[in-house]
Amino acid sequence: MKWDEFFVTGEPMIYAAMVSIVVVSLAIPIALTYFKKWNWLWMNWLTTVDHKKIGVMYILSALLMLFRGGVDALLMRGQTAIPDNGLLDGQHYNEIFTTHGVIMILFMAMPFIIGLMNVVIPLQIGARDVAFPRLNAISFWLFFAGAMLFNISFVIGGSPDAGWSAYFPLASLEFSPTVGNNYYSLALQIAGIGTLLTGINFLVTILKMRAPGMTLMKMPMFTWSVLITNVIIVFAFPVLTVALALMTLDRQFGTQFFAMQSGGMDMLWANLFWVWGHPEVYIVILPAFGIYSEIISAFARKNLYGYKSMVVSMVAISLLSFVVWAHHFYTMGHGVMVNSVFSITTMAIAIPTGVKIFNWLFTLRKGKISFTTPMLYSLAFIPIFTIGGVTGVMLAMASADYQYHNTMFLVAHFHYVLIPGTVFAVIAGFHFWFPKVFGFMLNEKLGKLSFWFITISFNVTFFPLFILGLNGMTRRMYTYSESTGYGPLNMLSMVGAVGLAIGFIILVYNIYWSVRYSPRDIDQDPWDARSLEWSTHSPVPEYNFALIPTVNKLDAHWFAKKEGKPLATGKYEPIHMPNNSGLPVIMGALFFFWGFFMVFSWWIPAIVFGVLILGTLAYRSFEKDHGRYISVEEIERTENALRGAQHEN
Amino acid sequence: MKIDHSVPMEYSTDENKMKILGFWIFLGAEIALFSTLFAVYFTLQGNTNVGPSASDLFHLSPVMIETILLLSSSFTIGLGVHAMRLGLKKPMMTFFGITLALGAAFLGVEVYEFVTYVGEGATIQTSGFLSALFTLLGTHGLHVTFGLLWGGSILLQIKKRGFTPETANKSFIFSLYWHFLDVVWIFIFSFVYLKGLM
Amino acid sequence: MKQLFPAQHVMGFLFSLLLSLVALVAVLFDLSFTAGMTILVVTALVQAGLQLFLFMHVKENAESKTLYLNILYALFVGLVTIFGTLFAMRWGYMVK
Repeated sequence: MKWDEFFVTGEPMIYAAMVSIVVVSLAIPIALTYFKKWNWLWMNWLTTVDHKKIGVMYILSALLMLFRGGVDALLMRGQTAIPDNGLLDGQHYNEIFTTHGVIMILFMAMPFIIGLMNVVIPLQIGARDVAFPRLNAISFWLFFAGAMLFNISFVIGGSPDAGWSAYFPLASLEFSPTVGNNYYSLALQIAGIGTLLTGINFLVTILKMRAPGMTLMKMPMFTWSVLITNVIIVFAFPVLTVALALMTLDRQFGTQFFAMQSGGMDMLWANLFWVWGHPEVYIVILPAFGIYSEIISAFARKNLYGYKSMVVSMVAISLLSFVVWAHHFYTMGHGVMVNSVFSITTMAIAIPTGVKIFNWLFTLRKGKISFTTPMLYSLAFIPIFTIGGVTGVMLAMASADYQYHNTMFLVAHFHYVLIPGTVFAVIAGFHFWFPKVFGFMLNEKLGKLSFWFITISFNVTFFPLFILGLNGMTRRMYTYSESTGYGPLNMLSMVGAVGLAIGFIILVYNIYWSVRYSPRDIDQDPWDARSLEWSTHSPVPEYNFALIPTVNKLDAHWFAKKEGKPLATGKYEPIHMPNNSGLPVIMGALFFFWGFFMVFSWWIPAIVFGVLILGTLAYRSFEKDHGRYISVEEIERTENALRGAQHEN
Repeated sequence: MKIDHSVPMEYSTDENKMKILGFWIFLGAEIALFSTLFAVYFTLQGNTNVGPSASDLFHLSPVMIETILLLSSSFTIGLGVHAMRLGLKKPMMTFFGITLALGAAFLGVEVYEFVTYVGEGATIQTSGFLSALFTLLGTHGLHVTFGLLWGGSILLQIKKRGFTPETANKSFIFSLYWHFLDVVWIFIFSFVYLKGLM
Repeated sequence: MKQLFPAQHVMGFLFSLLLSLVALVAVLFDLSFTAGMTILVVTALVQAGLQLFLFMHVKENAESKTLYLNILYALFVGLVTIFGTLFAMRWGYMVK
């Protein structure tokens, strides 16, 4: 392989990106050395096994990926804003819609949600950490390694260009000869293993580590949604693991799974991809439903309406989400029988989802609503998501789908589901739980300003796409002629996209502003909320709860406040905590290099790194690490300091 | 760390209980993984292209040897866990050692089988059917290989440290893994080999 | 020595060998496809159950209910994947 094949060449934008990558990767170590922060970074962050810090790292990475995916989106909208535009060529456009999809789903939405899960779940169930803290760190570093591996593809070797669903035969070696799709299969594989481990970890955490008295039906709704989500993760991700492994085998080892000429089936890929892919949709949406349930009930000052029906509907979704996948390819050769069955299951899954909408509406009814930033997002979510849901039922009808399939109508539909569903939820959750982690609040004025920018611009961006789709504009086409008449609506969509970008810039500015100026004198429960995480200090001490609370009903913290009775009494005892470990970040690095050499089929270094990965497992197996104890004196000191800080102010 | 002496040592601490539960959930994920491989195999098993079909390729005797080896290893690791619960270190190590030896013998027969297939012109690249077959068998074989490394490292730890809540927990979890591989093999034996020969 | 070989384990082992031999009937005799598959399905399921209850001690776990739910869920997903894929890619593919 020659150097000019190794690096992507010939594009001014790519050269600019290369320069900026080199500058940033030089600037970070120089700054760390100059400010003498290496030790701080290693001790406090890279080796941490603290669920709160791991959560923060997940969310930071997700924000970074939101930026990357957002730039991709702006380029796409810019390219299609006017007919016959030449901003991007066809190849570059293909790469950008592929990376946009992969990054937004797998490296933005998933880690943002897993980050919030990490921060909130142990606090919400009254635990001191997750079940397997070190495994949790490994999950994060595997995700991070996968994300970085995927991102370097656009300067080294070339990005995948067969769409985020990477359908065969297009994604086969014959039609996509660059290493782009090797990056796809290997980066997703590494990140996917991390996600599977997260799933196991949180299932055990929620099943085994709840505070005394918190039975399953007394868990907060966010915890319930995360429990169900992780059930789906555990059983859906292995399917992706297999599908990606078969892709690697087909592209790099000459097998015949998806090749048409030697007894393979190209549609088998689509089938496997969506067997995982549709449950994946519910993996990113169910925690969002949980976040909205928490926020709506907190700011309507009422308990959640229909708690049991909400739980039942989520359990139903977890099963139904596995039996609807073929609705993603109605038009690709199935008989009437297959299409009818999947059409019916798809419409059936709309029922439990619809139930939830009524749960939230009835929670709002007669509530004393306070319109905070998180609440605004939650209120905007209900009508916008309903549009997304209803258009989904339109797409569910197999015969009608022949009209909508692969048009911009579909693109509009899933953005109407995923943005108000997942993105609004993670932003709302970010504003809601921010004070818990950092001990100060995000500015409400700036928060509301960015909310209005984002919500209005979202509709301006994506509503025109419904009409464009019905007019016949297909997805993934990089340009069109003026005579099609698609120009004006695409231009309108571009205007919306710019508005969205401004909204997100205000959001980031809000973080900056709040870090510098936001008052630090907040209470541990600034929103006057309902669940256990608000019963400990903000910011949360390392051990979460000095005394483990005892729970006797749903929203126990709320009723404890009303009745003026503390949830936890007794004397401090030494607290057992896990030790930090450098092994997870080292494993992440080894997986990154293993993946990188695999991408280029450089077998010898790949084998070396594979053996090193096994070596870290062996090291871990022989290691003796019983954790450490925090002494009673230290707990008293921390507790007094945290209490004092709140009283002084 | 609180140790509860009323239950077998592998369950004796909270951490141990969580690890066993976590591993069962992992086995649930493994069921999904092997089911997907079976789905691929069943879908492609008729697509033999120019290569041989299942009934041309399979022979009963190596498969029966493999089955007996793996069933026996499942039996001996069960005896190993039983010996561990009696607190007998040496018998436990012997049974685990026999288990690993049987596992290695199984792998030997499987490799021999693969070499024979390739010698008959049936490689992983020949047809959709053979790609699916080799991948399903290979994934199971890789699990067994990993099991040999894992089991070996546990044997070393038992030898050095004796029975502690940690080593007992690891040994028990390893036995779950090994039994699970046996279950997967039973399905391969029945629905790949015997069905293919039917 | 005797305590090392509990009768239950030995019987279970012999029974599992017997089940493998019974499964051979499907191949050695000229049975119909349905009869052969029935034998294979029944012997495989009994074998799996034997491992699960006798050797994997699923019953003695304090969380056995969670374990059963876990296995049932996995079987649901597994069977849906296998038969759904066959339904979508074999039986209902490229037909009118």
